[in-house]
Amino acid sequence: MTAMDPTEVFRQEASELFEVLEGALLDLGQCPDDRELVDSAFRALHTIKGSGAMFGFDKVASFTHEFETAFDRVRRGEIKPTQELISVALAAKDYIRALIEDPQSTDDIIGEAILDDLKRFVSSDQPSAPVAEIAEARPLAPGESRQAGWHLYLDFESHILRNGSNPLDLLEDLCKLGPCFVVPVTDGVPFLDEMDPEDCYLKWDVKLHATCDKDAIDDVFMFVQDEMKLTLSPLEQVEARAPAPLFQLLDEEPAPPVETVAQMMAPAAAVAPPLAAKPERKAEVASEPKSDIKSETAPARREEAKQERGIATVRVQAERLDELMARVGELVIAQARLTQLASAGSDLSIKMIAEEIERLASSLRDTTMGARMVPIGSLFGRFRRLVHDLSRDLSKPVEFVTSGEDTELDKTMIECLADPLVHLIRNAIDHGIEDTATRAAHGKTEQGRIELAAVHSGAQVLVTVKDNGGGLNTARIRAKAEEQGLIATGAALSDHEVHQFLFHPGFSTAQTISALSGRGVGMDVVKRTIENMRGSIDLSTKPTQGTTVTLRLPLTLAIIEGLLIRVGEGRYIIPLSAVEECIELTAEDERSCGRNFLNVRGNLVPFLRLREIMSASGTPDRHQKTIIISTGETHVGLVADQIIGSHQTVIKSLSKLHSDVTMFSGATILGDGTAALILDVAQLVALAQAQTEKQISEAA
Amino acid sequence: MATILSVDDSPSIRQMIKVVLEPAGHNVIEAGDGAEGLAKAQATKLDLVITDLNMPVMNGLELIRALRKLPAAVGMPIVFLTTESNDAVKQEAKSAGATGWITKPFKPEQLLAVVSKLVRS
Repeated sequence: MTAMDPTEVFRQEASELFEVLEGALLDLGQCPDDRELVDSAFRALHTIKGSGAMFGFDKVASFTHEFETAFDRVRRGEIKPTQELISVALAAKDYIRALIEDPQSTDDIIGEAILDDLKRFVSSDQPSAPVAEIAEARPLAPGESRQAGWHLYLDFESHILRNGSNPLDLLEDLCKLGPCFVVPVTDGVPFLDEMDPEDCYLKWDVKLHATCDKDAIDDVFMFVQDEMKLTLSPLEQVEARAPAPLFQLLDEEPAPPVETVAQMMAPAAAVAPPLAAKPERKAEVASEPKSDIKSETAPARREEAKQERGIATVRVQAERLDELMARVGELVIAQARLTQLASAGSDLSIKMIAEEIERLASSLRDTTMGARMVPIGSLFGRFRRLVHDLSRDLSKPVEFVTSGEDTELDKTMIECLADPLVHLIRNAIDHGIEDTATRAAHGKTEQGRIELAAVHSGAQVLVTVKDNGGGLNTARIRAKAEEQGLIATGAALSDHEVHQFLFHPGFSTAQTISALSGRGVGMDVVKRTIENMRGSIDLSTKPTQGTTVTLRLPLTLAIIEGLLIRVGEGRYIIPLSAVEECIELTAEDERSCGRNFLNVRGNLVPFLRLREIMSASGTPDRHQKTIIISTGETHVGLVADQIIGSHQTVIKSLSKLHSDVTMFSGATILGDGTAALILDVAQLVALAQAQTEKQISEAA
Repeated sequence: MATILSVDDSPSIRQMIKVVLEPAGHNVIEAGDGAEGLAKAQATKLDLVITDLNMPVMNGLELIRALRKLPAAVGMPIVFLTTESNDAVKQEAKSAGATGWITKPFKPEQLLAVVSKLVRS
């Protein structure tokens, strides 16, 4: 967020103050004796005056000062706020507002007229009879009214422009006579296809605030008088409300006006300062049902203002976000089909639209996913208590450190992560951190340390639980695995492979079953939960140094970037986050048929022939491609017929019927409407490892 | 600064128009009859045409009608000079497409007022 212009802040502040002022003035009309209302009106005025002067609204400051001075007797309780006085005060408020919001369109004579009125009212000791006061002060001939200008209605014939006359010029000439409030009347503007660009469709409603005579106005329209209807009537009151700068709009084109004439005039009439010396008019203004204005207009406006201010956050039900995500997913699928159709055809304009929609869909997807993102910090906070309790129960002092709290993850994943992390933290304290005596013997600090960290890594988030305990006891895990018959005694396994047994169901090396861990239901559940989230889990350990468990999680569950490949007739998606590289399967690799190992820059990588796994029919493509995928440390090659390209993959879950299918983690719908299965990377890696083990044991 | 075409068969009227408008910063082109005026209007981008009504070869009304058919003259103001205060003549000229008129005899300030009314910088 950028810093706001102070002037803009003042405008906003003033706008709020006007609400206060208006509310107070209207309420005063109802209870003229309420001192609190008078004071709140004064406070608002005073702030407007002070801030106005600060930000260069000198006119505002001086007018408000005058207003304040004139109104001062009301504050001192010397005169009571009558309806007439409140009407003038409201007009003054509207004028100040216009001065701030649109200084160009206001004119000093209006302000002066309002102040004159205000002074006239407050200078009278008998506000109930101001009429006599005015009559005395300014004697007028019978029937004469103080004329403040002219009200014109300009209705040109439509062909006016063809003869070289320009209504805009005429309006400008009119403005030279005095300040004009010009409102275009757009009722006659037809639809675009019915519009003749050489015709004039607009009519104008003009309030000319000048005491010129009628001849001067006739002179302006001298050439066009017989081509227009000019309705001219004297303007008897000073309009209290300054209109929007509609005249400027005329320069461009016949733009629709913001307000119709009727709307413009309504509030002005309601708060019209009773300048005309006609007693009936005064009576009308005085008997104006103010309570209506108060009960409808003012609270409604305040409500609006409140809503505008409270936009910072919106709480939305989680299901709605899920639904939105599902819709966006469907949109992305439909968009993919459109793109495919458009690229197949030759219609350039369709292609352009398809590209535009592709761009929009992709940004819509990102925005929607962003809306589902929640910082992981809220989850981390929960574990502080857990660590504290465990540390006390086990008498192992533990320091708990978290980092990356602001890393964002899909909110459903944050919820799913809670249980696995509880298991991992329990394990770390129970099994990882040694008791104080052992730590001391190894020359370590008495206090153990558990680090919980989250960090972004490409399209993934890595959550690590790290302890500085004794590390995994590889020999004991191996012994346990042999005991449970998981491996043959003396089988050649790397330490890393041995550690994987920790994730086997029912596998626990804890000597005693504590209340916290050791039941052997922990790690396999953790692994399954993480894999259900399309994530992976990895262990690394160093004796006496500690253990680190790393969870790799996709940013979101709903849509992933996938690599679309073809195997035989079938098409499959590999999550792009798992893809390391794509290489061609060389003839040399091809010949190593029995061994199924690739030489990737000196490293031997086992590979799987997807054609065999999928039992694809037909003849394989001549140039087979290999996609190297990885889960953490382990790399596996997948051999496919063709790599089609990257694909926005909207993940659809497989039905319950297919819940025991391990090879696939889901399905998606391609642009042409056919389905493609999403390969489960973790399962394929496990399969490749099993195959390798089998080959090794066969060889041995 | 506007380019103004003055069409009149009387050189003295043309001169009068010229001496009033040129010091006011306008570029004045002259033509002695309607046909010449039309040719000059086709050759030059004009901001205003001031034409007499009674002229040889092509009179003012014919010139106004011809000018209004030119795409370049769309919205261009055309003023005619008339000695008559007769409304019928004004009406005829206006329906031919004229924008305004100047009644002869006219004073320099009257001419300038009309020109400034119709020509905007």
